[in-house]
Amino acid sequence: MSRALDRTGIWIGWAFFADLANALALTFGYMFSRPVTMQYPDKEKWLPYSRYRGHHFLKRDDEGEIKCVACELCARICPCYCIEVIPYEDEKGNRHPAKFEIDMARCLFCGLCEDACPADAIALGQQYEFSSFSSRDLVIGRDDLLGKPGKAATGGGVVSARLNTEQDVLVETSEPQGYNWWRNIRRT
Amino acid sequence: MELVVALGLIVFKVALLIAILLLLPLPLTWLERKVAGHMQQRMGPMRVGWHGLLQPVADGIKLLTKEDHIPAEADRFLFKLAPILALAPPFVVFVAVPFGESVSVLGTEITLYVSNMNVALLFVFAVIGIEVYGVIFGGWAANSKYAVLGSLRTCAQMISYEIPMGFAVIGVVMLAQSMSLLEIVRAQADVWNIVYQPVGFFVFFVAGLAESQRIPFDLAEAEGDLGAGFHTEYSGIRFAFFMVSEYAIMLLTSVLAVILFFGGWNGVLVPLPPLLWFVLKVAFFVYVFIWFRFTFPRYRYDQLMAIGWKVLLPLSMANIIITGVAFL
Ligand code: SF4
Ligand code: SF4
Repeated sequence: MSRALDRTGIWIGWAFFADLANALALTFGYMFSRPVTMQYPDKEKWLPYSRYRGHHFLKRDDEGEIKCVACELCARICPCYCIEVIPYEDEKGNRHPAKFEIDMARCLFCGLCEDACPADAIALGQQYEFSSFSSRDLVIGRDDLLGKPGKAATGGGVVSARLNTEQDVLVETSEPQGYNWWRNIRRT
Repeated sequence: MELVVALGLIVFKVALLIAILLLLPLPLTWLERKVAGHMQQRMGPMRVGWHGLLQPVADGIKLLTKEDHIPAEADRFLFKLAPILALAPPFVVFVAVPFGESVSVLGTEITLYVSNMNVALLFVFAVIGIEVYGVIFGGWAANSKYAVLGSLRTCAQMISYEIPMGFAVIGVVMLAQSMSLLEIVRAQADVWNIVYQPVGFFVFFVAGLAESQRIPFDLAEAEGDLGAGFHTEYSGIRFAFFMVSEYAIMLLTSVLAVILFFGGWNGVLVPLPPLLWFVLKVAFFVYVFIWFRFTFPRYRYDQLMAIGWKVLLPLSMANIIITGVAFL
């Protein structure tokens, strides 16, 4: 009985375009919800989470010596063969990389090098703005890698930013933590 | 002397009309993109001018400075003729469309219409039919398979929807006892036609959507399956012609819907200037057009034909019969 009623109800609704009206109401509602657009790079910028895999960086130990022992495990595990390590031995007999180059143009940011490293020397940090006009500039050497920013402590927010194109494309922001981008996502 | 003044007035009105119709697509494209953006939780144009207000101007400059490309295999004459054929009729039609009774400027009464034809409605439908040729020629002349498919679809679509559209307005003509748009609006001074002719309005509106080739009936330029349909091969200013024509027709359908079914410039409850009422109603319908576009998917071709012949045509005929019986 109720199912038959249901079905007539559906047919009556169909005859008066209830489904189309529903769709129109939905889009109308969406029109007044907040846009989720992040106005990168000149107004807003996203801060990466601490788990984010961005540009690599090499770590130093407590004495300021480079942690890497040039075992070349990262070069071996890298699916893109984009790491090149040439070791040397210093006066104390410790191995260190004489040359440590990552070709960022080929890297797929899988993070395997970070997992493989026995000395906890390499990791993928928070920097994600390193586009370049030449793929040659994307081959990053040891000293540059030592200076790259590390993992973010907090993140996931959107902060207001200002674009500075004087020296490369730079996004400047002073805020430590912005609004949570997910707050604008409708879940209905 | 009087003749000169009258002539000058007509020329001025026509010039004003053309200027408005040519400039109106600018804010309309902006509005369309903004509404589209916000319905999809985006922002739409934001970078050129305040909230992207100057974006249409930038687009216009871009279109004007683009290369005007004519395909090697194209029929050059028809290819050049088509955009003009598509653009001119929507402009011509507005000659017969009244925007209000009259306003007095400096003591003289100036009517808000270029001409008061007694067969205005017929004129509108006759002239707007020519616009189809622009689309058909454009698709044919380009000598591209997508364009031809688009224009073939347009052919069939226009023919099948012009008939129910024509039938749908007969009810209105019967109520007003006149084909003059001015008389039709005057006849709605107390009660709008939508009250007596809801079915007529429904048929007219759906057919109008199809006539102006808007979603859900935009099969002529279905991006998904036809590239860009009949104007696939057009670029630069000729493409802009087609675009302006599309917006002019959208405007025309809204204006006709308001005049025929929503009392034209007759207001309800709130006493506003008649012209403002008129503009507000038209703006509402333009918004509805845009709203539909970003809500509904496109109908399939056979569904389009089925709706036209099996639903709208019988409905419009029944509407005529019922109106006639009620009249007796
Ligand atoms: S992140 Fe992956 S691809 Fe990139 S260098 Fe490390 S192992 Fe190679
Ligand atoms: S970064 Fe780690 S894995 Fe790579 S060579 Fe140095 S110590 Fe070995």
